[in-house]
Amino acid sequence: MTESTVTLGRFFEQVRDGALTAIRCEACGALAVPPKELCPECGARRWEPVPLSGEGTIASYTIIRVAPRGHADDAPYAIAAVRLREGVSLLGRVVDVPFDALAIGLPVRFRPIVIKDHPAIGFGPA
Amino acid sequence: MRRVAVIGVGVTKFGRHERTSAELFAEAAADALADADIPASRVQALYYGNVVGGETEKQLHTGPQAASVLGIPTVPTTRFETACASSHAAFRHAVMEVGSGASDIVLVGGGERVLNVPTADSTEYFAYASDASWEQTLGLTFPGVFALVARAHMHKHGTTEEQMAAVAVKNHKHGVLNPKAQFRKEITLETVLTSPKVADPLKLYDCCPFTDGGAAVVLASEDVARRARRPIWVLASAAASDWMLIGDKRDLSRVPATERAAATAYRQAGIGPADIDVVELHDCFTIAEIVATEGLGLFEPGVGGPAAEKGWTSLGGKIPVNPSGGLKAKGHPIGATGAAQICEVVTQLRGDAGPRQVEGARRGLTHTLGGNTATVLVSLFGRD
Repeated sequence: MTESTVTLGRFFEQVRDGALTAIRCEACGALAVPPKELCPECGARRWEPVPLSGEGTIASYTIIRVAPRGHADDAPYAIAAVRLREGVSLLGRVVDVPFDALAIGLPVRFRPIVIKDHPAIGFGPA
Repeated sequence: MRRVAVIGVGVTKFGRHERTSAELFAEAAADALADADIPASRVQALYYGNVVGGETEKQLHTGPQAASVLGIPTVPTTRFETACASSHAAFRHAVMEVGSGASDIVLVGGGERVLNVPTADSTEYFAYASDASWEQTLGLTFPGVFALVARAHMHKHGTTEEQMAAVAVKNHKHGVLNPKAQFRKEITLETVLTSPKVADPLKLYDCCPFTDGGAAVVLASEDVARRARRPIWVLASAAASDWMLIGDKRDLSRVPATERAAATAYRQAGIGPADIDVVELHDCFTIAEIVATEGLGLFEPGVGGPAAEKGWTSLGGKIPVNPSGGLKAKGHPIGATGAAQICEVVTQLRGDAGPRQVEGARRGLTHTLGGNTATVLVSLFGRD
Protein backbone atom coordinates (compact mmCIF):
# COMPACT_ATOMS: atom_id res chain seq x y z
CA MET A 1 0.00 0.00 0.00
CA THR A 2 1.34 3.39 -0.92
CA GLU A 3 1.12 6.16 1.65
CA SER A 4 -1.36 8.19 -0.40
CA THR A 5 -3.85 5.32 -0.75
CA VAL A 6 -7.15 6.06 0.95
CA THR A 7 -8.03 3.08 3.15
CA LEU A 8 -11.59 2.04 3.82
CA GLY A 9 -11.19 3.17 7.42
CA ARG A 10 -9.92 6.61 6.41
CA PHE A 11 -12.71 7.02 3.82
CA PHE A 12 -15.42 6.49 6.43
CA GLU A 13 -13.62 8.68 9.01
CA GLN A 14 -13.84 11.44 6.43
CA VAL A 15 -17.51 10.61 5.76
CA ARG A 16 -18.07 11.17 9.49
CA ASP A 17 -16.50 14.61 9.03
CA GLY A 18 -18.76 15.37 6.07
CA ALA A 19 -16.30 14.74 3.23
CA LEU A 20 -16.26 12.28 0.33
CA THR A 21 -12.81 11.37 -0.95
CA ALA A 22 -12.17 9.44 -4.15
CA ILE A 23 -8.80 8.42 -5.52
CA ARG A 24 -7.27 9.36 -8.88
CA CYS A 25 -4.71 7.25 -10.71
CA GLU A 26 -1.52 9.31 -11.08
CA ALA A 27 -0.65 7.41 -14.26
CA CYS A 28 -3.85 7.53 -16.33
CA GLY A 29 -6.12 9.89 -14.41
CA ALA A 30 -8.89 7.33 -13.81
CA LEU A 31 -11.12 8.16 -10.86
CA ALA A 32 -12.11 5.36 -8.47
CA VAL A 33 -13.85 4.72 -5.19
CA PRO A 34 -11.37 3.52 -2.54
CA PRO A 35 -9.91 1.19 -1.57
CA LYS A 36 -8.03 0.03 -4.69
CA GLU A 37 -4.48 -1.26 -4.78
CA LEU A 38 -4.11 -1.28 -8.59
CA CYS A 39 -5.80 0.95 -11.15
CA PRO A 40 -8.47 -1.13 -12.95
CA GLU A 41 -7.87 0.95 -16.09
CA CYS A 42 -4.06 0.84 -16.44
CA GLY A 43 -2.69 -1.33 -13.63
CA ALA A 44 -0.60 1.41 -12.06
CA ARG A 45 -0.16 1.56 -8.27
CA ARG A 46 0.02 5.33 -7.64
CA TRP A 47 -3.09 7.05 -6.35
CA GLU A 48 -3.82 10.53 -5.07
CA PRO A 49 -6.83 11.46 -2.94
CA VAL A 50 -9.39 13.70 -4.68
CA PRO A 51 -12.27 15.44 -2.88
CA LEU A 52 -15.70 14.83 -4.42
CA SER A 53 -18.41 17.50 -4.64
CA GLY A 54 -21.09 15.18 -3.29
CA GLU A 55 -23.47 16.38 -6.02
CA GLY A 56 -25.11 13.81 -8.25
CA THR A 57 -28.27 12.33 -9.67
CA ILE A 58 -30.16 9.14 -8.84
CA ALA A 59 -29.27 6.30 -11.25
CA SER A 60 -31.72 3.89 -9.61
CA TYR A 61 -33.52 3.53 -6.30
CA THR A 62 -35.64 1.26 -4.14
CA ILE A 63 -37.57 1.37 -0.91
CA ILE A 64 -36.59 -1.46 1.41
CA ARG A 65 -39.69 -2.65 3.26
CA VAL A 66 -38.47 -6.07 4.42
CA ALA A 67 -35.15 -5.34 6.13
CA PRO A 68 -32.38 -7.55 7.52
CA ARG A 69 -32.71 -8.15 11.26
CA GLY A 70 -30.20 -5.43 12.15
CA HIS A 71 -32.10 -2.73 10.20
CA ALA A 72 -35.70 -3.73 10.88
CA ASP A 73 -36.34 -0.70 13.12
CA ASP A 74 -35.49 1.68 10.26
CA ALA A 75 -37.82 0.13 7.63
CA PRO A 76 -39.13 1.36 5.30
CA TYR A 77 -36.09 3.25 4.00
CA ALA A 78 -34.90 4.37 0.56
CA ILE A 79 -31.58 3.33 -0.99
CA ALA A 80 -30.30 4.85 -4.22
CA ALA A 81 -27.36 4.38 -6.56
CA VAL A 82 -26.15 7.91 -7.21
CA ARG A 83 -23.98 8.93 -10.15
CA LEU A 84 -21.79 11.75 -8.84
CA ARG A 85 -20.88 14.75 -10.98
CA GLU A 86 -17.28 13.52 -11.21
CA GLY A 87 -18.39 10.23 -12.80
CA VAL A 88 -18.12 7.69 -9.97
CA SER A 89 -21.20 6.16 -8.35
CA LEU A 90 -22.02 5.53 -4.72
CA LEU A 91 -24.85 3.74 -2.97
CA GLY A 92 -26.53 5.59 -0.10
CA ARG A 93 -29.64 6.00 2.02
CA VAL A 94 -31.90 8.76 0.72
CA VAL A 95 -33.12 11.00 3.52
CA ASP A 96 -35.57 13.93 3.62
CA VAL A 97 -36.99 13.10 0.19
CA PRO A 98 -40.59 11.76 0.18
CA PHE A 99 -40.77 8.24 -1.29
CA ASP A 100 -43.16 9.37 -4.04
CA ALA A 101 -40.72 12.10 -5.12
CA LEU A 102 -37.93 9.57 -5.80
CA ALA A 103 -37.09 9.34 -9.51
CA ILE A 104 -34.23 8.35 -11.77
CA GLY A 105 -32.39 11.56 -12.66
CA LEU A 106 -33.38 13.38 -9.46
CA PRO A 107 -30.53 15.65 -8.27
CA VAL A 108 -29.32 14.84 -4.74
CA ARG A 109 -26.45 15.88 -2.49
CA PHE A 110 -24.25 13.84 -0.13
CA ARG A 111 -25.09 14.05 3.53
CA PRO A 112 -23.18 12.13 6.20
CA ILE A 113 -25.42 9.89 8.30
CA VAL A 114 -24.90 7.41 11.10
CA ILE A 115 -26.44 3.93 10.94
CA LYS A 116 -26.04 1.75 14.02
CA ASP A 117 -23.11 3.87 15.25
CA HIS A 118 -21.27 3.60 11.91
CA PRO A 119 -20.71 6.57 9.57
CA ALA A 120 -22.59 5.89 6.33
CA ILE A 121 -23.37 7.59 3.06
CA GLY A 122 -26.63 9.48 2.84
CA PHE A 123 -28.12 11.66 0.14
CA GLY A 124 -30.56 14.49 0.72
CA PRO A 125 -32.25 17.04 -1.53
CA ALA A 126 -29.81 18.91 -3.82
CA MET B 1 -9.37 -30.96 -22.81
CA ARG B 2 -11.07 -34.37 -22.92
CA ARG B 3 -14.81 -34.51 -23.50
CA VAL B 4 -16.81 -34.67 -20.27
CA ALA B 5 -20.35 -35.94 -19.72
CA VAL B 6 -22.98 -35.93 -17.02
CA ILE B 7 -23.93 -39.57 -16.43
CA GLY B 8 -26.08 -39.29 -13.32
CA VAL B 9 -28.37 -36.74 -11.63
CA GLY B 10 -30.20 -36.53 -8.31
CA VAL B 11 -32.32 -33.86 -6.59
CA THR B 12 -34.19 -33.91 -3.28
CA LYS B 13 -37.68 -32.57 -2.90
CA PHE B 14 -37.29 -28.80 -2.42
CA GLY B 15 -38.97 -27.07 0.51
CA ARG B 16 -38.75 -27.39 4.28
CA HIS B 17 -36.74 -30.27 5.69
CA GLU B 18 -35.81 -31.46 9.18
CA ARG B 19 -32.43 -32.70 7.94
CA THR B 20 -29.03 -30.99 7.70
CA SER B 21 -27.68 -29.67 4.41
CA ALA B 22 -25.14 -32.54 4.38
CA GLU B 23 -27.96 -35.08 4.71
CA LEU B 24 -29.91 -33.41 1.91
CA PHE B 25 -26.87 -33.40 -0.38
CA ALA B 26 -26.12 -37.04 0.50
CA GLU B 27 -29.62 -38.17 -0.50
CA ALA B 28 -29.29 -36.40 -3.86
CA ALA B 29 -25.76 -37.74 -4.39
CA ALA B 30 -26.76 -41.35 -3.66
CA ASP B 31 -29.62 -40.95 -6.17
CA ALA B 32 -27.20 -39.51 -8.74
CA LEU B 33 -24.76 -42.42 -8.28
CA ALA B 34 -27.63 -44.93 -8.61
CA ASP B 35 -28.81 -43.11 -11.74
CA ALA B 36 -25.27 -43.33 -13.17
CA ASP B 37 -24.98 -46.98 -12.07
CA ILE B 38 -21.59 -46.12 -10.55
CA PRO B 39 -20.50 -47.49 -7.15
CA ALA B 40 -19.47 -44.79 -4.67
CA SER B 41 -16.03 -46.41 -4.44
CA ARG B 42 -15.23 -45.18 -7.98
CA VAL B 43 -15.76 -41.48 -7.13
CA GLN B 44 -12.39 -39.72 -7.19
CA ALA B 45 -13.35 -36.25 -5.93
CA LEU B 46 -16.26 -34.22 -4.56
CA TYR B 47 -16.82 -30.57 -5.50
CA TYR B 48 -19.39 -29.18 -3.09
CA GLY B 49 -21.45 -25.99 -2.91
CA ASN B 50 -22.76 -24.59 0.38
CA VAL B 51 -23.23 -20.93 1.26
CA VAL B 52 -24.69 -20.03 4.66
CA GLY B 53 -23.86 -23.21 6.58
CA GLY B 54 -21.61 -21.15 8.83
CA GLU B 55 -24.63 -19.08 9.88
CA THR B 56 -27.70 -21.35 9.77
CA GLU B 57 -26.01 -24.56 10.92
CA LYS B 58 -22.87 -23.17 12.60
CA GLN B 59 -20.99 -25.44 10.24
CA LEU B 60 -17.83 -24.81 8.27
CA HIS B 61 -15.67 -27.42 6.54
CA THR B 62 -18.82 -28.63 4.83
CA GLY B 63 -16.99 -30.47 2.02
CA PRO B 64 -15.59 -33.29 4.17
CA GLN B 65 -18.77 -33.29 6.24
CA ALA B 66 -20.88 -33.87 3.11
CA ALA B 67 -18.49 -36.58 1.91
CA SER B 68 -18.58 -38.31 5.31
CA VAL B 69 -22.37 -38.26 5.51
CA LEU B 70 -22.59 -39.62 1.97
CA GLY B 71 -20.17 -42.41 2.94
CA ILE B 72 -17.09 -41.51 0.87
CA PRO B 73 -14.95 -39.93 3.62
CA THR B 74 -11.57 -40.38 1.94
CA VAL B 75 -12.12 -38.65 -1.41
CA PRO B 76 -10.53 -35.22 -1.87
CA THR B 77 -13.25 -32.61 -1.43
CA THR B 78 -13.53 -28.83 -1.49
CA ARG B 79 -16.41 -26.55 -0.65
CA PHE B 80 -17.08 -23.76 -3.16
CA GLU B 81 -18.69 -20.47 -2.24
CA THR B 82 -19.71 -17.96 -4.90
CA ALA B 83 -22.99 -17.02 -3.20
CA CYS B 84 -25.99 -18.40 -5.13
CA ALA B 85 -23.76 -19.71 -7.96
CA SER B 86 -21.70 -21.97 -5.65
CA SER B 87 -22.48 -25.44 -7.01
CA HIS B 88 -22.31 -24.19 -10.60
CA ALA B 89 -18.81 -22.86 -9.86
CA ALA B 90 -18.03 -26.25 -8.30
CA PHE B 91 -19.31 -27.89 -11.50
CA ARG B 92 -17.04 -25.81 -13.74
CA HIS B 93 -13.97 -26.76 -11.71
CA ALA B 94 -15.00 -30.42 -11.68
CA VAL B 95 -15.38 -30.32 -15.47
CA MET B 96 -11.79 -29.07 -15.63
CA GLU B 97 -10.58 -31.88 -13.31
CA VAL B 98 -12.15 -34.53 -15.52
CA GLY B 99 -11.37 -32.69 -18.76
CA SER B 100 -7.69 -32.39 -17.80
CA GLY B 101 -7.37 -36.13 -17.26
CA ALA B 102 -6.71 -35.81 -13.51
CA SER B 103 -9.84 -37.85 -12.67
CA ASP B 104 -12.34 -39.99 -14.55
CA ILE B 105 -15.35 -39.82 -12.21
CA VAL B 106 -16.16 -36.80 -10.06
CA LEU B 107 -19.21 -35.95 -7.98
CA VAL B 108 -20.52 -32.37 -7.91
CA GLY B 109 -23.37 -30.96 -5.91
CA GLY B 110 -24.60 -28.79 -3.12
CA GLY B 111 -26.77 -28.65 -0.06
CA GLU B 112 -28.37 -25.80 1.84
CA ARG B 113 -30.59 -25.39 4.87
CA VAL B 114 -32.12 -22.02 5.77
CA LEU B 115 -35.73 -22.62 6.82
CA ASN B 116 -34.53 -23.58 10.30
CA VAL B 117 -33.97 -19.87 11.07
CA PRO B 118 -36.44 -16.93 11.00
CA THR B 119 -36.80 -14.94 7.72
CA ALA B 120 -35.21 -11.80 9.21
CA ASP B 121 -32.11 -13.85 10.00
CA SER B 122 -31.91 -15.56 6.60
CA THR B 123 -32.41 -12.15 4.92
CA GLU B 124 -29.44 -10.88 6.92
CA TYR B 125 -27.26 -13.94 6.17
CA PHE B 126 -27.97 -13.72 2.43
CA ALA B 127 -27.03 -10.02 2.57
CA TYR B 128 -23.54 -11.09 3.71
CA ALA B 129 -22.93 -11.76 0.00
CA SER B 130 -23.08 -8.00 -0.57
CA ASP B 131 -20.22 -5.73 0.54
CA ALA B 132 -19.96 -5.43 4.34
CA SER B 133 -18.69 -1.83 4.41
CA TRP B 134 -20.57 -0.22 1.54
CA GLU B 135 -23.82 -2.15 1.24
CA GLN B 136 -24.68 -4.16 4.35
CA THR B 137 -24.19 -1.06 6.50
CA LEU B 138 -26.95 0.67 4.52
CA GLY B 139 -29.37 -2.22 5.03
CA LEU B 140 -29.29 -3.29 1.38
CA THR B 141 -31.03 -6.64 0.80
CA PHE B 142 -31.00 -8.94 -2.22
CA PRO B 143 -34.52 -7.94 -3.21
CA GLY B 144 -33.13 -4.38 -2.91
CA VAL B 145 -30.29 -5.13 -5.34
CA PHE B 146 -32.68 -6.48 -7.95
CA ALA B 147 -35.12 -3.66 -7.29
CA LEU B 148 -32.34 -1.29 -8.40
CA VAL B 149 -31.93 -3.41 -11.54
CA ALA B 150 -35.70 -3.46 -12.10
CA ARG B 151 -36.09 0.30 -11.75
CA ALA B 152 -33.24 0.92 -14.21
CA HIS B 153 -34.67 -1.62 -16.69
CA MET B 154 -38.15 -0.07 -16.45
CA HIS B 155 -36.66 3.39 -17.02
CA LYS B 156 -34.54 2.36 -19.99
CA HIS B 157 -36.84 -0.12 -21.75
CA GLY B 158 -40.35 0.59 -20.48
CA THR B 159 -40.50 -2.82 -18.79
CA THR B 160 -43.67 -3.06 -16.68
CA GLU B 161 -44.58 -4.64 -13.34
CA GLU B 162 -47.12 -6.74 -15.28
CA GLN B 163 -44.33 -8.16 -17.48
CA MET B 164 -42.32 -9.06 -14.38
CA ALA B 165 -45.42 -10.65 -12.86
CA ALA B 166 -45.83 -12.72 -16.05
CA VAL B 167 -42.49 -14.41 -15.26
CA ALA B 168 -43.77 -15.48 -11.83
CA VAL B 169 -47.08 -16.75 -13.27
CA LYS B 170 -45.23 -18.76 -15.93
CA ASN B 171 -42.73 -20.32 -13.51
CA HIS B 172 -45.46 -21.27 -11.05
CA LYS B 173 -47.35 -22.88 -13.94
CA HIS B 174 -44.25 -24.91 -14.79
CA GLY B 175 -43.69 -25.77 -11.11
CA VAL B 176 -47.07 -27.53 -10.98
CA LEU B 177 -45.56 -30.08 -13.39
CA ASN B 178 -42.46 -30.74 -11.24
CA PRO B 179 -42.96 -33.17 -8.33
CA LYS B 180 -39.74 -31.89 -6.68
CA ALA B 181 -40.87 -28.22 -6.71
CA GLN B 182 -41.45 -26.30 -3.47
CA PHE B 183 -44.59 -24.61 -4.86
CA ARG B 184 -46.96 -26.59 -7.05
CA LYS B 185 -49.77 -24.10 -7.33
CA GLU B 186 -50.73 -21.79 -10.18
CA ILE B 187 -50.96 -18.09 -9.42
CA THR B 188 -52.46 -15.16 -11.37
CA LEU B 189 -51.05 -11.79 -12.38
CA GLU B 190 -53.36 -10.36 -9.71
CA THR B 191 -51.72 -12.54 -7.04
CA VAL B 192 -48.32 -11.09 -7.90
CA LEU B 193 -49.39 -7.48 -8.38
CA THR B 194 -51.33 -7.28 -5.12
CA SER B 195 -48.77 -9.12 -2.96
CA PRO B 196 -46.96 -7.09 -0.26
CA LYS B 197 -44.07 -4.90 -1.38
CA VAL B 198 -40.65 -6.18 -0.36
CA ALA B 199 -38.36 -3.65 -2.09
CA ASP B 200 -40.24 -1.39 -4.53
CA PRO B 201 -40.99 -2.20 -7.29
CA LEU B 202 -40.53 -5.85 -6.27
CA LYS B 203 -43.33 -7.56 -4.42
CA LEU B 204 -43.40 -10.82 -2.49
CA TYR B 205 -44.36 -12.89 -5.56
CA ASP B 206 -41.53 -11.34 -7.62
CA CYS B 207 -39.11 -13.05 -5.21
CA CYS B 208 -38.02 -16.68 -5.03
CA PRO B 209 -38.50 -18.38 -1.66
CA PHE B 210 -36.04 -19.54 0.98
CA THR B 211 -35.57 -23.28 0.48
CA ASP B 212 -33.89 -26.34 1.96
CA GLY B 213 -32.61 -28.91 -0.53
CA GLY B 214 -29.80 -30.81 -2.17
CA ALA B 215 -28.72 -31.69 -5.71
CA ALA B 216 -25.90 -33.69 -7.28
CA VAL B 217 -24.51 -34.76 -10.64
CA VAL B 218 -21.96 -37.41 -11.60
CA LEU B 219 -19.36 -36.27 -14.14
CA ALA B 220 -17.37 -38.75 -16.21
CA SER B 221 -14.67 -38.78 -18.85
CA GLU B 222 -15.60 -39.81 -22.39
CA ASP B 223 -14.28 -43.39 -21.93
CA VAL B 224 -16.46 -43.95 -18.87
CA ALA B 225 -19.41 -42.05 -20.33
CA ARG B 226 -19.47 -44.18 -23.50
CA ARG B 227 -20.40 -47.16 -21.31
CA ALA B 228 -23.06 -45.18 -19.43
CA ARG B 229 -26.77 -45.41 -20.05
CA ARG B 230 -27.44 -41.98 -21.55
CA PRO B 231 -24.55 -39.53 -21.28
CA ILE B 232 -25.29 -35.85 -21.74
CA TRP B 233 -22.20 -34.03 -22.96
CA VAL B 234 -20.86 -30.85 -21.38
CA LEU B 235 -20.35 -28.59 -24.41
CA ALA B 236 -19.04 -25.64 -22.37
CA SER B 237 -18.74 -24.31 -18.84
CA ALA B 238 -17.77 -20.66 -18.40
CA ALA B 239 -17.50 -18.18 -15.56
CA ALA B 240 -17.38 -14.40 -15.45
CA SER B 241 -17.11 -11.88 -12.65
CA ASP B 242 -17.84 -8.19 -12.28
CA TRP B 243 -17.48 -5.37 -9.77
CA MET B 244 -18.46 -6.39 -6.25
CA LEU B 245 -20.43 -3.21 -5.54
CA ILE B 246 -23.77 -2.89 -7.31
CA GLY B 247 -23.18 0.89 -7.32
CA ASP B 248 -20.09 0.41 -9.52
CA LYS B 249 -22.15 -0.97 -12.41
CA ARG B 250 -22.25 1.54 -15.25
CA ASP B 251 -25.65 0.40 -16.51
CA LEU B 252 -27.86 -1.17 -13.87
CA SER B 253 -30.30 -2.49 -16.49
CA ARG B 254 -27.70 -5.05 -17.60
CA VAL B 255 -25.70 -7.88 -16.05
CA PRO B 256 -22.37 -7.73 -17.91
CA ALA B 257 -21.09 -10.91 -16.25
CA THR B 258 -23.97 -12.85 -17.83
CA GLU B 259 -23.09 -11.41 -21.24
CA ARG B 260 -19.40 -12.30 -20.83
CA ALA B 261 -19.97 -15.81 -19.47
CA ALA B 262 -22.46 -16.53 -22.27
CA ALA B 263 -20.08 -15.26 -24.95
CA THR B 264 -17.31 -17.51 -23.60
CA ALA B 265 -19.60 -20.54 -23.38
CA TYR B 266 -21.00 -20.10 -26.89
CA ARG B 267 -17.44 -19.75 -28.23
CA GLN B 268 -16.27 -22.91 -26.39
CA ALA B 269 -19.19 -24.91 -27.79
CA GLY B 270 -19.18 -23.35 -31.26
CA ILE B 271 -22.91 -22.67 -31.08
CA GLY B 272 -25.12 -19.63 -30.48
CA PRO B 273 -28.31 -18.75 -28.65
CA ALA B 274 -30.44 -19.81 -31.64
CA ASP B 275 -29.17 -23.39 -31.19
CA ILE B 276 -30.53 -23.71 -27.63
CA ASP B 277 -33.77 -25.66 -27.07
CA VAL B 278 -34.19 -25.41 -23.28
CA VAL B 279 -32.90 -23.02 -20.62
CA GLU B 280 -32.69 -23.15 -16.83
CA LEU B 281 -31.68 -19.68 -15.66
CA HIS B 282 -31.34 -17.76 -12.42
CA ASP B 283 -34.76 -16.23 -11.72
CA CYS B 284 -34.06 -15.29 -8.10
CA PHE B 285 -36.36 -12.35 -8.87
CA THR B 286 -38.69 -11.94 -11.84
CA ILE B 287 -36.60 -9.07 -13.23
CA ALA B 288 -33.51 -11.32 -13.04
CA GLU B 289 -35.12 -13.73 -15.54
CA ILE B 290 -35.96 -10.88 -17.92
CA VAL B 291 -32.43 -9.45 -17.79
CA ALA B 292 -30.88 -12.94 -18.11
CA THR B 293 -32.89 -13.79 -21.26
CA GLU B 294 -31.45 -10.62 -22.78
CA GLY B 295 -27.89 -11.15 -21.51
CA LEU B 296 -27.83 -14.73 -22.81
CA GLY B 297 -28.76 -13.43 -26.27
CA LEU B 298 -32.16 -15.17 -26.36
CA PHE B 299 -33.78 -11.74 -26.91
CA GLU B 300 -32.56 -8.25 -27.73
CA PRO B 301 -32.19 -5.80 -24.80
CA GLY B 302 -35.65 -4.57 -23.85
CA VAL B 303 -37.47 -7.56 -25.36
CA GLY B 304 -37.21 -9.80 -22.27
CA GLY B 305 -40.29 -8.24 -20.66
CA PRO B 306 -42.59 -8.45 -23.72
CA ALA B 307 -41.26 -11.99 -24.39
CA ALA B 308 -42.41 -13.14 -20.94
CA GLU B 309 -45.80 -11.47 -21.40
CA LYS B 310 -46.35 -13.07 -24.82
CA GLY B 311 -45.51 -16.57 -23.59
CA TRP B 312 -42.36 -16.95 -25.69
CA THR B 313 -40.55 -18.40 -22.65
CA SER B 314 -43.34 -20.77 -21.59
CA LEU B 315 -43.40 -24.51 -22.28
CA GLY B 316 -44.54 -24.69 -25.89
CA GLY B 317 -43.18 -21.18 -26.60
CA LYS B 318 -40.25 -20.09 -28.80
CA ILE B 319 -37.62 -20.91 -26.17
CA PRO B 320 -38.88 -22.52 -22.96
CA VAL B 321 -37.20 -21.01 -19.90
CA ASN B 322 -37.24 -22.70 -16.48
CA PRO B 323 -39.48 -25.69 -17.26
CA SER B 324 -38.61 -26.92 -13.73
CA GLY B 325 -40.46 -23.95 -12.26
CA GLY B 326 -37.18 -22.10 -11.79
CA LEU B 327 -35.94 -20.70 -8.51
CA LYS B 328 -39.31 -18.99 -8.22
CA ALA B 329 -41.47 -22.13 -7.92
CA LYS B 330 -39.05 -25.05 -7.72
CA GLY B 331 -37.23 -23.20 -4.92
CA HIS B 332 -33.73 -21.86 -4.27
CA PRO B 333 -31.53 -23.81 -1.82
CA ILE B 334 -28.67 -21.49 -2.69
CA GLY B 335 -25.72 -23.88 -2.43
CA ALA B 336 -27.57 -26.55 -4.44
CA THR B 337 -29.23 -24.39 -7.09
CA GLY B 338 -26.57 -24.55 -9.81
CA ALA B 339 -26.43 -28.36 -9.61
CA ALA B 340 -30.23 -28.59 -9.56
CA GLN B 341 -30.45 -26.53 -12.76
CA ILE B 342 -27.98 -28.90 -14.41
CA CYS B 343 -30.06 -31.89 -13.23
CA GLU B 344 -33.14 -30.39 -14.92
CA VAL B 345 -31.42 -29.70 -18.24
CA VAL B 346 -29.90 -33.22 -18.27
CA THR B 347 -33.36 -34.68 -17.54
CA GLN B 348 -34.80 -32.60 -20.39
CA LEU B 349 -32.10 -33.66 -22.86
CA ARG B 350 -32.64 -37.32 -21.92
CA GLY B 351 -36.34 -36.87 -22.69
CA ASP B 352 -37.26 -37.88 -19.14
CA ALA B 353 -39.08 -34.71 -18.01
CA GLY B 354 -42.60 -36.12 -18.33
CA PRO B 355 -45.37 -33.50 -18.48
CA ARG B 356 -42.84 -30.64 -18.48
CA GLN B 357 -40.75 -32.12 -21.33
CA VAL B 358 -39.55 -29.68 -24.01
CA GLU B 359 -40.24 -31.79 -27.08
CA GLY B 360 -37.16 -32.82 -29.04
CA ALA B 361 -34.72 -30.83 -26.88
CA ARG B 362 -31.15 -31.49 -28.09
CA ARG B 363 -29.18 -28.64 -26.53
CA GLY B 364 -29.64 -26.92 -23.19
CA LEU B 365 -28.19 -24.02 -21.21
CA THR B 366 -27.87 -23.37 -17.48
CA HIS B 367 -27.17 -19.92 -16.02
CA THR B 368 -26.49 -19.20 -12.36
CA LEU B 369 -25.84 -15.83 -10.80
CA GLY B 370 -24.11 -15.07 -7.52
CA GLY B 371 -24.33 -12.05 -5.22
CA ASN B 372 -24.81 -8.53 -6.53
CA THR B 373 -24.47 -9.90 -10.10
CA ALA B 374 -20.70 -10.19 -9.46
CA THR B 375 -20.52 -13.90 -10.34
CA VAL B 376 -22.14 -15.67 -13.28
CA LEU B 377 -21.71 -19.23 -14.56
CA VAL B 378 -23.07 -20.46 -17.90
CA SER B 379 -22.85 -24.08 -19.05
CA LEU B 380 -24.05 -25.71 -22.25
CA PHE B 381 -25.13 -29.31 -22.69
CA GLY B 382 -25.94 -31.57 -25.64
CA ARG B 383 -27.09 -35.11 -26.32
CA ASP B 384 -25.62 -37.43 -28.95
